Amino acid sequence: MSAAHEPPRGAKGHRPQVFDDPAVDQLYAAYVAIATELSVAFERIDTLERLLETQSGLSREAIRDYQPNESVSAERQQHRAELAERLLRPFRDFREQRIARANRLSDTGPGD
Amino acid sequence: MPAFKQHPMVPQTTHDEQARQDFVSALRGHLSGRLMPGAYQVYAARVEPAFRSKHGRGPKDEHEVRHAMTEDPYYQFWSAMQRRSQELLWESVIDPTERQLPELIDRARTLGKRGRGKRRGTLRLDPKLVVPKYHTAADIHLQPGGYHTDFTADDVAAGAVYDKGINLYMGGALGEENNLTGDTLLAYVREKHPSLKPRSILDLGCAIGNSTVVWARAFPKARVHGIDVGAPVLRYAHARAQAMGVAVDFSQQNAERTDFADGSFDLVLSHIVLHETSKSALTRVLAECRRLLKPGGLMLHLEIPRGRTDIEKFMHNWESYNNNETFSRYMTDLDLKAETIKAGFAADAVLVDEFAPKLDVAQMNYTEHFLWKILAAFKR
Repeated sequence: MSAAHEPPRGAKGHRPQVFDDPAVDQLYAAYVAIATELSVAFERIDTLERLLETQSGLSREAIRDYQPNESVSAERQQHRAELAERLLRPFRDFREQRIARANRLSDTGPGD
Repeated sequence: MPAFKQHPMVPQTTHDEQARQDFVSALRGHLSGRLMPGAYQVYAARVEPAFRSKHGRGPKDEHEVRHAMTEDPYYQFWSAMQRRSQELLWESVIDPTERQLPELIDRARTLGKRGRGKRRGTLRLDPKLVVPKYHTAADIHLQPGGYHTDFTADDVAAGAVYDKGINLYMGGALGEENNLTGDTLLAYVREKHPSLKPRSILDLGCAIGNSTVVWARAFPKARVHGIDVGAPVLRYAHARAQAMGVAVDFSQQNAERTDFADGSFDLVLSHIVLHETSKSALTRVLAECRRLLKPGGLMLHLEIPRGRTDIEKFMHNWESYNNNETFSRYMTDLDLKAETIKAGFAADAVLVDEFAPKLDVAQMNYTEHFLWKILAAFKR
């Protein structure tokens, strides 16, 4: 593959900074990348297990070329949704706590 | 959700590449469906009341909402995740595209020659075309290189990346052939103008022709043209349409000023394109549409609503500030009808409509109540 065939990985344009400390932005970026790779690793393990169940003398090519059927795809989709759920749960809980606290404050008025 | 339909121009994925794309799609579905609506709740429960107690009044406009919301930790979290998921989305599609690019370019050349006469589409590129600043200033939607950059001779990478990328972007909700926007505008025509039988159709800013093909199939007797400023997306569009057996004439042109003769078309369309241009370009595009229409011809532009309340406007403009829809902020409070009249259309021939097709759009909302905006105008 020649260098001419390599499109860039980053987009032209300003990358907004969300948090006061840019290191936090970088941590978030890395955290999502790790989660992605974790999901990839889960699926590779799943493929290995399923192939091991059905055949011996497993080859790397067999793993690379494995195509999940419909029901395997559905199971994996479910697994991914659960991973996203686990990954994002702390933030949802955080939001709900804050909303609940705000509602309590507005019910009881100032002086909490 | 219907699965993405493979065609010969779609790069094959390895086990891990597919797993990466599937995860990004699942994450985006979760972010937009489950976490983004929480930003509205946080605003109502915390941010707006805090602003009110500090200032003795609510935020007076979208900008005051922005200052308050961008300080909120929950919003910050969602925004950082949304941005990152968008970056990972493109990465996950670029990998397989890059690996197979020489084969894809060869395939595009072969497909271009398929078919005969009226059943064969055409491709006309213009290497001298100046790509407008609203494309070159920043890569729209963070797609590296945007719609317009050739990284090698006869490049089709931008098209291949865009085709799979936009499908992941909407978590598959764009349909198995990314046909949702075309289907939506077509459903509008079927409902509001059932007798319309256009013989010549022009799709502006057509990119990979995913909507253009919808129109060509719906009106098989019509001559259908698609234009875009991006050469690599057009090469891909041509090959894709050829692979699907749909005849479309693609050409590389700027919708602000095309080389078609006056009165060439019965129907001139665009699908979520206007907000990617600039305010000055928009005026020229509308005037050009009018020039290109036959008397009695219809202009239709499908657009994303920009929000009614200040918090909705702020949330919609996330894309402007964080996803390189750099120029789209101007659309927020723009009077589209007034702009259309300014472009020469008669006031009573212009309509800015809202439309919700009877299609499965549940997954693709950026607000809880998603309606498309449609700008429709007849030429007298």
